[in-house]
Amino acid sequence: MPASEAHTTFTRELRIDAPRETVFSYFTDPAKMARWMGIEHRLDPVPGGAFRVDMNGRNVAAGHFVEVVPPARVVFTWGWEASEEMPPGSSTVEVRLTGEGDKTILHFVHRDLSPVQAQRHGEGWDHFLSRLGVAAAGGDPGPDPYREPSP
Amino acid sequence: MEPVLRAISDARRREIIRLVRRRELSAGEIAARFDVSRPAISQHITILREAGLLTERRDGNRRLYRARPEALAGVRSFVEEFWIDHLDRLKEAAEQEATEQEETDARQ
Repeated sequence: MPASEAHTTFTRELRIDAPRETVFSYFTDPAKMARWMGIEHRLDPVPGGAFRVDMNGRNVAAGHFVEVVPPARVVFTWGWEASEEMPPGSSTVEVRLTGEGDKTILHFVHRDLSPVQAQRHGEGWDHFLSRLGVAAAGGDPGPDPYREPSP
Repeated sequence: MEPVLRAISDARRREIIRLVRRRELSAGEIAARFDVSRPAISQHITILREAGLLTERRDGNRRLYRARPEALAGVRSFVEEFWIDHLDRLKEAAEQEATEQEETDARQ
């Protein structure tokens, strides 16, 4: 991966002891998404359909679904409402589910985290600061479920 | 970590960090790049310094500032925590559902 890409992409692989169909539904079913991200959801899981997740009553992630291929692949755009640095739809999240039976490997990629600034400045530091701005939005202190310590 | 996030949540403060990431500048030199008052810039510098994002060095009666990238490096992992934490929660929820489903199937 080129250095510039490393700065603008977050990737993770996760092994989950659940069938792909089950894991997939956590990206398309609002009630299930509420168990891992956000408090209010508008999800229309068809290409071009809305993707909107209110994280905590203040920070809202928004974009639209690009690809929905159950139970193998879901792609949606992503950004933050009221964010200049990372507006709704300005980056892309790609989720690929592989595996067999009751095991799933989740391949997660969040890319184009700051393409505009990457071109303008061509420096990792700027991508980095942009991402920090995003984190500041998403990681806003308060009654944010994901900030609570795990039981 | 929260003071750091608060510090970088302001676009002007992020711009200040960019200005001094490779060179030292005095408060006056930093302020000259902005069309806001010098006291306002001083306050931004104080917030950044208290968050550990800027270092201050005295040179005679001048105070020079420079970014502390290592402080930001600590935040970098925090950035990724958004997805790491959320995906861990997803895993937990999906596995719990799968376990419950297995138990239901076993009873039938």
